[in-house]
Amino acid sequence: MPRLRATVSSFRHQAAMFWAEPQWIIPNVIAPFVLAMVVLMIYREPSPEAVLYAVLGGGMMGMWGNTLYASGFSIQSDRWWGTVDAIFAAPSPLIWIIGGRTIWNAFVGIVNGLFVLVAAMIIFQTPLEIADFPLFILAFVLTLLSLAALGMLFSAAFVLTRSAQVLTNGLEFPIYVGTGSMFPIFLLPYWTHPLSYSLAPTWGIDAIRYAALSDYAQGFSAGYWGDLLYMMILAVFYLTVSIWLYKAVDHRARKTANLMRY
Amino acid sequence: MSENVNDPLRVFWSSAVLAKRALFAWLNPAMWIMQLFGMSLFQIAFFVYVAKFVNNSEVTMEYVAIGNALQSLAYVSVFAVCNITGEEKNQGTIENLLVSPANRFSVFVGRAMFQIVNGLATVTIAFMYAALIFNVDFSQANYLGLASVILVTTFAMTGFGLMLSSLGLFLRTSMIIANIFLFIGLLLCGVNFPVSYLPTYLQPLSYAIPMTYGTEAARMAVEGASLGELSGLLGAEALVGFTVMIAGYLMFRWFEHLARSKGTLDRF
Repeated sequence: MPRLRATVSSFRHQAAMFWAEPQWIIPNVIAPFVLAMVVLMIYREPSPEAVLYAVLGGGMMGMWGNTLYASGFSIQSDRWWGTVDAIFAAPSPLIWIIGGRTIWNAFVGIVNGLFVLVAAMIIFQTPLEIADFPLFILAFVLTLLSLAALGMLFSAAFVLTRSAQVLTNGLEFPIYVGTGSMFPIFLLPYWTHPLSYSLAPTWGIDAIRYAALSDYAQGFSAGYWGDLLYMMILAVFYLTVSIWLYKAVDHRARKTANLMRY
Repeated sequence: MSENVNDPLRVFWSSAVLAKRALFAWLNPAMWIMQLFGMSLFQIAFFVYVAKFVNNSEVTMEYVAIGNALQSLAYVSVFAVCNITGEEKNQGTIENLLVSPANRFSVFVGRAMFQIVNGLATVTIAFMYAALIFNVDFSQANYLGLASVILVTTFAMTGFGLMLSSLGLFLRTSMIIANIFLFIGLLLCGVNFPVSYLPTYLQPLSYAIPMTYGTEAARMAVEGASLGELSGLLGAEALVGFTVMIAGYLMFRWFEHLARSKGTLDRF
């Protein structure tokens, strides 16, 4: 229970930090929104299906942007504020504290994703005609959870480096490309496909498209439920590795005593 | 000592040297090299595959590869330069810098100098990717013309970044402005589709950003246009770059005045 209490406190603290400076949501919304707009402009006169295809990709990118920046800055901000050693010295394991932050960021990620969806729909005057709404919501939420698990994995690695900000900036486009957020991954070179399949959001965006587009022909042979299954297996794998990694990182940080360096 | 502070060139040089030292004091050189080689590759790849998927005859893979190769400069000239004032705030050095009698223009242009070198390297690598990985045909290219485009665009966009950076003096953070303009360029500057695709009311905004002239000139240079044919675009780009740099300096003085009078200088 004390661990859960640490998670709840961390969640509340992250929410308070967000409301203290809510402007940080702007870049996380702007980037995927602009990228979705660029893709739609390349179509020039997009069909309603093309709009929905691009906008769904934009929604996923919005969630990823938020997760990535939140995990990248999760510890980096503590370094700047001089609070990172206090967090490590607390009796609660680091992962429970980061877990609370991640859950809050996942909430904000939903808002991000939905904002991109709705704004693009309004601008391109295309009604949001989702083929199967309950399945769409299920895929949307599970994709967000898988992104959060991926974010946990990255944030564990970011604890050890002073260059988390650089890595955060550098990981945005590789995931957009690797997951096929705006195009089918079969267009990518064949040798990159295993990398794409190892990313849970690749399966997530495919499941979202299966649920949203009535005549989605470019999907994986696994189908909607197969996509969800693979995505959840990968998310559990990320979470398991991140739990182990947080323990290793905690041990190393105490040993090298250079956590505060930035 | 006071002679040095009053010499704008001396201030410019020491500011440039300090900026480079400060960057590598916290950034591992290996990480910098990774960023140099990695950033543009994935951005170009993203839009090349989108263009391949969309299959619009006007927006070919070559078109977006060249546009994004040049636009990769924005990570450095817009994002990094725009954050100069914000980083001074974060480090707690902005007050010391502004109470010194040193020429502001020399200090902040000096701070951006390393990013100009960084920008030139980033774009050169991005064009290598365009040729070697994304099969852009450079057989007709006017390399001198292309080098001139890269050089003028780098200077002009650094001026644009400095103008945005002045906002960081007054706002709590410059990073949000940097993020917004990093991506807005992809939409407005003819990087991924012709400016004529944009609504008419947005097109003047495109031509207020130097990159718009640069992307058009870069495509012409790759097709083999002579320096004479490029001179109109390069001249316009240099003029816009110079104008935004002067505007940036005036904005800087204005925001400095505002920040001093409202006591917001060290707020972040």
